[in-house]
Amino acid sequence: MADTAHRVVRMEPPRRPERLVELDTMGVVSDAARPLSIPERLLQITGVRRLIVVVVLCLAWQLYAMWLNNNLLFPTLGETLEALYDAIVNGPLIQRTLTSLQILLTGYAAGLAIAGIFTTLAITTRVGTDFLSTLTAMFNPLPAIALLPLALLWFGLGAKSLVFVIIHSVLWAVALNTHSGFTSVSPTLRMAGQNCGLRGLSYVAFLLVPAAFPSILTGLKIGWAFAWRTLIAAELVFGVSSRSGGLGWFIFENRNQLEIPSVFAGLLTVITIGLFVESVIFRSIENVTIRRWGMQN
Amino acid sequence: MDAATRGTGNAPLLAVDNVTLQYKTEQHLVTATYRVGFEVYAGERYVVLGPSGCGKSTLLKAVAGFMQPVEGQIRLSGKQIKQPGSDRMMVFQEFDQLLPWKTVLGNVLFPLLVNRRMPKAEATEHARELLAKVNLSRFENIYPHMLSGGMKQRVAIARALAMEPAVLLMDEPFAALDALTRRKMQEELKALWDDVGFTVLFVTHSIEEAILVGSRILVLSPHPGRVKAELNADHLNFSDIGTPAFEKVHRRIHDLLFADRIETALATETH
Repeated sequence: MADTAHRVVRMEPPRRPERLVELDTMGVVSDAARPLSIPERLLQITGVRRLIVVVVLCLAWQLYAMWLNNNLLFPTLGETLEALYDAIVNGPLIQRTLTSLQILLTGYAAGLAIAGIFTTLAITTRVGTDFLSTLTAMFNPLPAIALLPLALLWFGLGAKSLVFVIIHSVLWAVALNTHSGFTSVSPTLRMAGQNCGLRGLSYVAFLLVPAAFPSILTGLKIGWAFAWRTLIAAELVFGVSSRSGGLGWFIFENRNQLEIPSVFAGLLTVITIGLFVESVIFRSIENVTIRRWGMQN
Repeated sequence: MDAATRGTGNAPLLAVDNVTLQYKTEQHLVTATYRVGFEVYAGERYVVLGPSGCGKSTLLKAVAGFMQPVEGQIRLSGKQIKQPGSDRMMVFQEFDQLLPWKTVLGNVLFPLLVNRRMPKAEATEHARELLAKVNLSRFENIYPHMLSGGMKQRVAIARALAMEPAVLLMDEPFAALDALTRRKMQEELKALWDDVGFTVLFVTHSIEEAILVGSRILVLSPHPGRVKAELNADHLNFSDIGTPAFEKVHRRIHDLLFADRIETALATETH
């Protein structure tokens, strides 16, 4: 019967009776979902977890500085906070911060506007695409701060020069990300948009921009970080004019006077603003847009 | 739509006249269809059936206005089709045809508002009616990423029908669904057709789907797509599945599609 030369072992499962179950007789599952305990719930919140990281870092700072015991090199957290309080209440810190933010926002907005025009041109015409990719390839690697001497020559010592270098630092990052976002919109979605009657500018505004919003948001974030960095670095070089200088100037000034806790206070302000923009402003934009739309988890 | 495009007269609604379609890939110029001609009358469920590579999807894209024929003409109510338009709403196979940043209701409203078809309140009411027809009323405030594949396709159908297009174009709309959902969607589409009474041009590669959905079937041969036959299938319904009459039509179309398979197999062997 079996061909022993081949040695094929065929498994023979047992023949079993059929089974029909009435669902009512099964009873109810008692513990399908258990509520989380309070510590478990707290750890679910990203903000809480991040706060723990910050607290640990602050502790490490305080302990290390106390062990070093040299406030010219590395002041303690306590001294820094003291200097920060003093600079806010009695000193020029708020004024300096506002000056910086005002210039920053002017440059950022102008950079975004120009990036918007460039990418719209790039998506609608082929020449525009070549124009944008060439310019981006040329200028994106060029550090904005390297343009500062030239800007000073063209626009003089003042806000105009700073706005110019900020535009440069924002423009290419945002344009590059927006354009790559536009080109990666799925062909089906494009056709669906055209099929619904979208043409020209309305096609860009109502289809491409929302569809490419994850990339655009990444561009906005990178642009923000570039702009912020460029501004502080530029201010470190010359202030705006020494009377109404920004945060960078505040840091530079205090370093010259060896007020190191105040230098740290200035740096802490830069970090705090950066953290706020990233984890409050950009995060809320993400929550009401790409997270809600299921484009990012 | 106005009476001219909805008319039940003897003139065909959609005329595809000796259409040759070509597109370029990186290395080749591909001829998708060669001198394909057919006519669709108002109220028909016209199915274009063929194996992959017969240019049926390309043909539908040309009717939608996304590409121009290199030879021949496509006319809707006597007017040549030159660009995409909302008088030919299309339901795609892919689920990502819905706008992820709009809710279900927002998606159905979108073409109505873009084309300023009616004031917003009226459009909302109209969109809600259509969502009710595809059984999605409960989901109108949900974003597409939370819907199942079948629900997404129903939203796409509601969005297309909301525009009351002269002809509804469907490009293998149920091909990416599981078998059970697909059958349910086919039945729902037919019920919707009974209820609303639109004209549909439907592309598929499934013989069974063609017989179930279509009132008339155009059979295309592959590489490039050419017309092989045009059949009537209005007499068969879901209850006929498995009956000898159904099997007979199925077998007939199957033979039409695969008659020259042996010849091609021989031809490729001799290469």
